[in-house]
Amino acid sequence: MKKQSLFLLILFFISATSCFGAMKLGAPLTLQEVTKVSEINKHPEQYKGKRVLIEGLVVNVCAARGCWMDIASDVPFEQIKVKVVDGEIVFPLEAKGQMAKVEGIVQAIHLTEGQARSMAQHQAKESGEQVDLSTIKGPTTFYRIRGLGAEIN
Amino acid sequence: MGYLCIGLTLLYGISGLLVNHTSHDFNPSYTITTQKGRVSPLASGKSPDMSYVNQCLEELSITAQFKNVAVLTPGTIRIFVEGNTIDVTTATGETVEEKIARRPILFGLNYLHLNKGKGAWTWIADIYALALCLLALTGVLMIRGKRRRRALFLTTIGFLCPLLYLILLP
Repeated sequence: MKKQSLFLLILFFISATSCFGAMKLGAPLTLQEVTKVSEINKHPEQYKGKRVLIEGLVVNVCAARGCWMDIASDVPFEQIKVKVVDGEIVFPLEAKGQMAKVEGIVQAIHLTEGQARSMAQHQAKESGEQVDLSTIKGPTTFYRIRGLGAEIN
Repeated sequence: MGYLCIGLTLLYGISGLLVNHTSHDFNPSYTITTQKGRVSPLASGKSPDMSYVNQCLEELSITAQFKNVAVLTPGTIRIFVEGNTIDVTTATGETVEEKIARRPILFGLNYLHLNKGKGAWTWIADIYALALCLLALTGVLMIRGKRRRRALFLTTIGFLCPLLYLILLP
């Protein structure tokens, strides 16, 4: 009986930890047409508040809570951040280097100079990189996608 | 019912301890290690290609399955292999590896605690939560006899603890 219980417990953990195939996270994707990340980055005000479906390579994932990921654009050196409500969707760290489809709302985030510096510091701490805060001057606006659902292949 | 809750209470208790301490330096579900290294720099004027990516992996003795590569900036590429991300500064050949691995058992505990799988586990967790409420309420009804005063005192502390914290919260 003891052995059986132990076996069941082990089986339970294995099944719980190996359930990642093609991952579907959050709400099911409803849009068919993919909007290019470069388009959103180029004309963010046009897309502000709109629901979009983007597709691209996952280049970074929040290491602490899995609450955001960066999706590479279709043009070099560009990315867009997908942020989700903590706990609503948790992006697994294994998603890095995989292709993802994400549906969400384009958001404009307005920051004062102080907020922008705090955020830069926070991101530098997360990524372990150095940041020159003196380069951040005046209020800034950046755009990101509030993720509602995602599929990671 | 108390016996039924032992396993789940331990699961949520252990995972709760870990999840409480989640920070940018501590991920309760994964171990993350970074390691600096160096590979041959990319010849000036050349663009990084797959042969350079393969060369980097070879020089770093990385045999894990290749997943993808991204050019992050004009001078930095990020190579993704199973369980590892390698940033290469092409001009200098400096590399930073970030290796991730699931913490044995704890990954499973946190996966269930945070209900990442949703679906059937939501039902199990809901039933467990209701069972805990029932245990607490029936526990209150059991406060009687010689140790009544002590039991009431401890129960009051149990209620005051979160209440005071919320009141005193700045």
